Amino acid sequence: MILRNIKKRTIIVLVAIVLIFPLMLTGCWNNRDLTEMNIVVGIGLDRTEDGKVLLTVQIVEPASVQSVPSGKDNKGNAQSKAVFVVSHEGETVFEAVRGILSTIDKKMFLSSSRVLIFGERLLQGDLEEVLDFFHRDHEMDYGMDILAAKDTTPREILAMETDMDSIPAVYIRETIENTVARGTVKKTTLVELIKDLESGTRQLTIGKITKASEKEVRTEGVAVLKDGKLVGWLDPYETRGYLFAIGKVQSAIVNVPTDNGKISIEIIRTNGKVGVVFENGEPSTLTIKVEIEANVGEYAGKGKLKSQDDLHVLEETLKEEIKKEIMMALEKTQKEYSSDIFGFGIYVRKYHAKYWKKVKKNWNDIFSKLPVDIQVDAKIMRTGIIKSTMSGDE
Amino acid sequence: MVKTQISKIQLFMLLLGFLFGSTVIMTPTVGAKNDGWLAILVGGAAGILLMGVYSAIALLNPSKTLVDILMERLGKVAGNILAVLYIWYFIHLASLVFRDFGEFICTVTFPETPMIVVIGLFAVVLLYAVNSGIEVLGRLSELLVPIIPIVIFIIGLSLISVHDFTAFLPILENGITPVLKAALSFLTFPFGETVAFLMVFPHLNKKEKLKKVVFLSAGIIILAGTVIFFRDISVLGSDLMARATFIPHLTSLLIPGLNVEPLVDINLLIGGGIKISVCIYAASKALCQIVGIDDYRTMTGAITTFCVVLSIWVHESTLDLFSWSEKVWPYYSIPFQIVIPLLLLLLSLRRSKSSNKKEKSLKG
Repeated sequence: MILRNIKKRTIIVLVAIVLIFPLMLTGCWNNRDLTEMNIVVGIGLDRTEDGKVLLTVQIVEPASVQSVPSGKDNKGNAQSKAVFVVSHEGETVFEAVRGILSTIDKKMFLSSSRVLIFGERLLQGDLEEVLDFFHRDHEMDYGMDILAAKDTTPREILAMETDMDSIPAVYIRETIENTVARGTVKKTTLVELIKDLESGTRQLTIGKITKASEKEVRTEGVAVLKDGKLVGWLDPYETRGYLFAIGKVQSAIVNVPTDNGKISIEIIRTNGKVGVVFENGEPSTLTIKVEIEANVGEYAGKGKLKSQDDLHVLEETLKEEIKKEIMMALEKTQKEYSSDIFGFGIYVRKYHAKYWKKVKKNWNDIFSKLPVDIQVDAKIMRTGIIKSTMSGDE
Repeated sequence: MVKTQISKIQLFMLLLGFLFGSTVIMTPTVGAKNDGWLAILVGGAAGILLMGVYSAIALLNPSKTLVDILMERLGKVAGNILAVLYIWYFIHLASLVFRDFGEFICTVTFPETPMIVVIGLFAVVLLYAVNSGIEVLGRLSELLVPIIPIVIFIIGLSLISVHDFTAFLPILENGITPVLKAALSFLTFPFGETVAFLMVFPHLNKKEKLKKVVFLSAGIIILAGTVIFFRDISVLGSDLMARATFIPHLTSLLIPGLNVEPLVDINLLIGGGIKISVCIYAASKALCQIVGIDDYRTMTGAITTFCVVLSIWVHESTLDLFSWSEKVWPYYSIPFQIVIPLLLLLLSLRRSKSSNKKEKSLKG
């Protein structure tokens, strides 16, 4: 009898414990539902004139994204915007992030942010100061794209309404992704920025974003930084030269002039490497080696590609063309900006560690004075599904 | 008391889990920066030797625990004092691992959850495991430890596209001193900590396999450590690596388009859990042997509670924990991990020689 009673009691206790456990398994302490968060898709950072941090966030309204364009939302009102944009000032980034809560309703969820846009004024100051928060906070997505706004402010870009995508930040990110096919803007992620910022072996570059029209942005070119401060910009062709040199071009169209017309060559595979030649313990020349595989994409003119020799001639001109682009980028960074964005410093640090320790502080000056040797190896593989132009046959 | 036994595979997995322990999130060789791999190799080689010493002690004193050996070799008074110190050391070690675990979870996963809750809940589970006996721990690790290398493999593979394979250059940028310091760190954490296994070795059913098991597990840890190091440095680069709080966690964040962060948490749960369990087991068992209690389970509850409290008290913040485990821990551990075991080995060798002689003279 007693035994049975005890058994019963233990069973009741066990059941009670089992029932209590689910309470602990519901998730983390500060569990928040999706409906209690503001989902941030884009962040803009700038400085105000009196040196404060100006934070702009683009927050997505999930209910409006789902509904059909130009429809009505579930309350019967006219279509509300899919995103809204809010700005706030603060002494530090984190203060601004929290301070923004005085104007918006729910706490912000930053992990979903796709792009981070820096304003020109902010870049002219010290980037390190504002980047620390993004590095330290555990909610940040290290793969977030970084952009530098030229001739406009981050707020203007984030507040832009586009027809391409209901969420502008997603649209901006997609245009950067397209660089895979054109190689005119550098895709910079947060982690790359953090990696290079303090090492001093490679100066930073950040993809450039400008306003193309009222409803469109343009991502082309890069901002060149030196020791965390903006020193200038590269145009799309210089950017491509720069990307060729560091091996970041995946595909691109290069125009090559010929005797009778122009040929557009599609680069399909490239590989670039930088190095430094040392003589007697001192650097003597910078070297850039680029390997290219390409196809003929378009022949705008009256000509014919008859034999292997024609292709060899074409290869030579292609090499020259690419060399020119690399040279443009290099000369500008050497002469105007004196900023080693190519990462020659990385090479020196890795293979000439002792010398690097000596010159770490003024490497950029040394870099600016070194001559360069560019070697391009181009191979044209195919000419597409036709051999000659339509009027090319005599 | 029923004689409990574990198989060689179970011991192997226990050792492996113990060695992975918090090493999977805290990188003891971080002080050596680019040359961490050298530190791993040097420290690992020394670690194998050290673990060889432990297994030799266990083989020379078959079916005796650390406490028995201490008593027998050093006499009652000194043996008791040292045994109490060892108990303190195991408790301290367990509470440190608790703290590592708590700091990690509170930094990266649940920043607003009080650490005491994280550690406390973990402790309840581990207490249950320890109370179930060393056999259960063995079977548990047999089941769970293989997950750790699989996770390391998955993370390494998914990062293959962002690797920079020459990132570990230049070699010996800052000279040999930081490498040796880091090697010492790696020797004491995790290899030297396996001194706690002197309480577990007597349970092995096939004694002759002990050395093989020990060396194999140490070898695998060195291999895994090297792989993890090259993975981390080729993804993060040396500067970012030196700045990160939890290096493998940061690495796992960088996998493009995939979030495998919880996998690192799982690794820590398994490795850290086994490490803490073994430490608590060793401490309770030793304490019971000193005061003459038959069943070690009477002590586990008290010791676990003490560990949890100690883990909260012992350090003020993450930075304190890190600088302490990097600067003080190696030296603090040396007597427990190296000096006393070497002394025991010498004494055991002498005793066994003299007993051999005695036997011979008796036979003669």
